[in-house]
Amino acid sequence: MVRSGKEHIQFIENYLEYSDIFYADIRMEMTDHASSEIQQLMESNNLEFYEIFKSYMVNTKATLIENNKQFIKGADKSILKRLWVELIKLPTLLVFCAVLFLSYNWLLSIEVEALKGVISLFPILSIVPFCTVYVLALNFYKIPRFSGVERLGVMYLMCFQLFNFLSSFMGLYIQSKSNFFIVAIIMAIIGTLCLLIIKITLQIINQYRNEYKLMTS
Amino acid sequence: MYICVMANSKLYKGSLVTIILKLLNESDKMYGYEITQKVKALTKGKLKITEGALYPALHKLEAEGVLEVEVKKVDNRLRKYYKLTEKGNQETVSKLQELQEYIKTMQVLVNPKFSLE
Repeated sequence: MVRSGKEHIQFIENYLEYSDIFYADIRMEMTDHASSEIQQLMESNNLEFYEIFKSYMVNTKATLIENNKQFIKGADKSILKRLWVELIKLPTLLVFCAVLFLSYNWLLSIEVEALKGVISLFPILSIVPFCTVYVLALNFYKIPRFSGVERLGVMYLMCFQLFNFLSSFMGLYIQSKSNFFIVAIIMAIIGTLCLLIIKITLQIINQYRNEYKLMTS
Repeated sequence: MYICVMANSKLYKGSLVTIILKLLNESDKMYGYEITQKVKALTKGKLKITEGALYPALHKLEAEGVLEVEVKKVDNRLRKYYKLTEKGNQETVSKLQELQEYIKTMQVLVNPKFSLE
């Protein structure tokens, strides 16, 4: 039985990586599929690795790249679905109420003038916690470029835009000193989302550490 | 999408998930290439599942919690195995029932003489 040697597998992996399939989990599966197919063709046709590899890639490279796109879309959908599932859970509502209570009491005790300056920085400040958790977790666990982990960036970006939008509303209410309860609600939405994102980030990182032990150890 | 020899691929498109679940139900765990080869062998080459159809379906099932994965080192490379979860076992039963119902209905419509009922 002809076996794909280590250097052949590395060759396939490098080829896929240079073909923009840069997420380790996607590439691993494609490398295995291509290696298995090439190995089988080498056995049945009695041809050299490079000949088979060339014709295999000519026929399937477009499909592999399309697969990569589908996989990335799937990873994005999966993260957003996870966020939605977390959002509609009862504990999330309890956290929201707690943050709302704390925010409202804090707003009643703070000088309004001091708050105005903070508002413009609020979107940036509110993404700092989950970005910090993300960077610390990646550095601590030293995991490769997994699709699910890197695509968290999409969710971060969406939240940043949302926080920006909400903060502009909050600014209007603070300037007019009209209704601090609405400001507290906006702060509670942002605070709850921050906590959820931190939770999801850690869940996804741990999931990859469990499922891909061989790549993370 | 399928590459089908001697068969109309459109007729098989809706059954991909059922095929995957049925195969996984019969064995402890399988990897992607193994599934394509098994389908090819069982249908004597009449039905071939391309990687462009198989992997998105597997990843979707994994995200839905129907499948769980296990990564193992085999022949100098890492291989991702898929297996059914508890939810996956239930899903398999329901999908197979759906398919049987579909076959029965089609049988009645296409060939009433030989229908099962």
